[in-house]
Amino acid sequence: MSTTHATAEIFDRNAREALADPVLHGALRNLADSFVIRRRNAIASIDDWEGLRERARSIKDETLLHLDEYLERFTDNATKAGATIHWARDGKEACEIVLGLVRAKNADMVVKAKSMAGEEIHLNEALEAAGIEAVETDLGEWIIQLAGETPSHIVVPAIHKTKQQIADLFVEKVGIEKTDNVDVLTQTARTILRQKFGEARVGISGVNFGVAETGTILILENEGNIRLTTSLTETHIAIMGIEKVIPKFADLDVFLKLLPRSGTGQRLTAYQSLITGVKNNTDDLGPDELHIVMLDNGRSRMLAHPLTRQSLACIRCGACLNACPVYQQVGGHAYGSVYPGPIGAVITPQLFGLSKAKQLPYASSLCGACREVCPVKIDIPALLLHLRSEIADGSPSGNETPTRKLGESLAFRMYSRMWSRSGTYSLSMRAARLMQRFVARDGKIGKVGGMLAVLIPPLGAWTAWRDAPVVAPKSFREMWREKNK
Amino acid sequence: MTSSQAKSAIFSSIRENLAKSKPLDVRHQEMIPVPVLVSSGLNLLETFQGSLEQVGAKCTFVEGESEAGHRLREIIKDLSASEILVSDSELVHRIVNAAELDALEDASRDELFAMEVGVTSAQWAIAETGTLVLESGSERHRLVSLVPPVHVCIIRASSIRQSMAEILELVNPDADPTITFITGASRTSDIELTLAIGVHGPGELYVIVIKDQ
Repeated sequence: MSTTHATAEIFDRNAREALADPVLHGALRNLADSFVIRRRNAIASIDDWEGLRERARSIKDETLLHLDEYLERFTDNATKAGATIHWARDGKEACEIVLGLVRAKNADMVVKAKSMAGEEIHLNEALEAAGIEAVETDLGEWIIQLAGETPSHIVVPAIHKTKQQIADLFVEKVGIEKTDNVDVLTQTARTILRQKFGEARVGISGVNFGVAETGTILILENEGNIRLTTSLTETHIAIMGIEKVIPKFADLDVFLKLLPRSGTGQRLTAYQSLITGVKNNTDDLGPDELHIVMLDNGRSRMLAHPLTRQSLACIRCGACLNACPVYQQVGGHAYGSVYPGPIGAVITPQLFGLSKAKQLPYASSLCGACREVCPVKIDIPALLLHLRSEIADGSPSGNETPTRKLGESLAFRMYSRMWSRSGTYSLSMRAARLMQRFVARDGKIGKVGGMLAVLIPPLGAWTAWRDAPVVAPKSFREMWREKNK
Repeated sequence: MTSSQAKSAIFSSIRENLAKSKPLDVRHQEMIPVPVLVSSGLNLLETFQGSLEQVGAKCTFVEGESEAGHRLREIIKDLSASEILVSDSELVHRIVNAAELDALEDASRDELFAMEVGVTSAQWAIAETGTLVLESGSERHRLVSLVPPVHVCIIRASSIRQSMAEILELVNPDADPTITFITGASRTSDIELTLAIGVHGPGELYVIVIKDQ
């Protein structure tokens, strides 16, 4: 499928290809049917869901406003407990740190638990280039690794694939008999990956939350591969975005209520590992070394504005992807980024540069479904508009010339003048009523082309893909006036 | 660039950007306190059992350790299992001895993967979600509760609490480098969002609750 290596620059082309792919649609249909409903049922078990969201957001806001202090506290406490902290300004530095640690252990293979930060910095490619085999152990991640693809969803990376495609992949890559039984496919993965777990001495994971008060990292999962990665190995390397820190141990309660419900519609995922440093007794099980790689990679830049800063509150639940009518139609690959969907459209331009993802802020109808489901109340539509205006104005973070055309600017200034006075407003409505006779069909305005599109600038663009409503024969004010005559 | 140079670069970037944002910031809203539920004790056992059943775990209540031994024997017999791995919990050892079962405590890596049942206790449990809480300082649980395809967990009724909030007050990450929360069997929905059980961890979870006498 050509969308596999899609880039964020050409969302419009990727989206059109995705829309023409019936197999992809079949795979994505499950999202709305199950995740959306499961989430709705799961949040019903919380009395004050809104209050919980407010609290989560206020914890995140507090942390981000004092991020330097909380990071200092987190890393101090983790160090005291025996962890080694590393700092990486960007993905390249983070990969180098990880490579150095793996080489120091003379390991030629590592087991990996799903980590979005790891995807973000393209760690697998860096490891492979250094001759180190990186084995993804999350079932979905392993499937896409076998297929040579990238994840298309934050929580269920292989959502774009049907059972049939996965079965064919297993027949080709690991030589099983053709089956359409999900349990057989799952057990195949278990058997093959257990062998890898048996051999691996280094395990790499992500981090969901880092607690400043105790230096604890918390990782959530359902499969058990993260526990195997962090228990069976001698060295555990955890990659943690600097925004993952939270102030208090007790704060975990709030996020453990929100994240599983929002992500998979569960009250709690099967496992949470709370890891504080290394074992304090040589007889104990688990790694002797814990390395935490603190990753900036564009995050600190987002602190510069209260609007962009809220992107850092994201807990990567994926609820906005599941709820988004655009994502539901085009899937994750069309976004051409490791972070797809509404939150991806917001994070990708900020992490990797507006010029590299100029189309993503427009990959939304601004319907607001994402804002409604977001457990930390990120105002994604407001962020998308903010990024659109940065693109139009050619702001410094965009590193680009403005895309706004002189004619367009003039036209909007004229509309704004006319429509802020009642006299000229009704005049324009009367004019519209007169003019629309030429373009209206069956009570709506279809595609407008030719002279009219040129004369009334936004009309052509607006009607290219959708119908515009017609102006009513009489306005409410007119009807009111007649009624009271 | 060394890690400490990278650290100071990151910290200056954080401080510079926060300073830029300051004029735009509205006063930060007050933290909203959340009420902490306290275990009533009344419906705790029922709630716990109900939550466990919801996630597909099997829960039995027993009176005393010898009955727990009987129940454990029954489970092992029904599974026709013979390779049993136990944690270093004294409670587990007493019950396994009472049940006259042969079990291994320290397994080599190869032996570990051949084990059929892992038996542990748990230091705490959460009724609301059916969650078992295991602390590494009290019990070496990490592999016993994870690698064998069946996990049996023996817990005293007195260690069950209502909510996660209470448990977070009780556990101590300073003393226990690893605290594991377990809610049901290992699962995945990665293929067409279809639930599959036992992908990497145990496919079956049995909980034996010893009622207080």
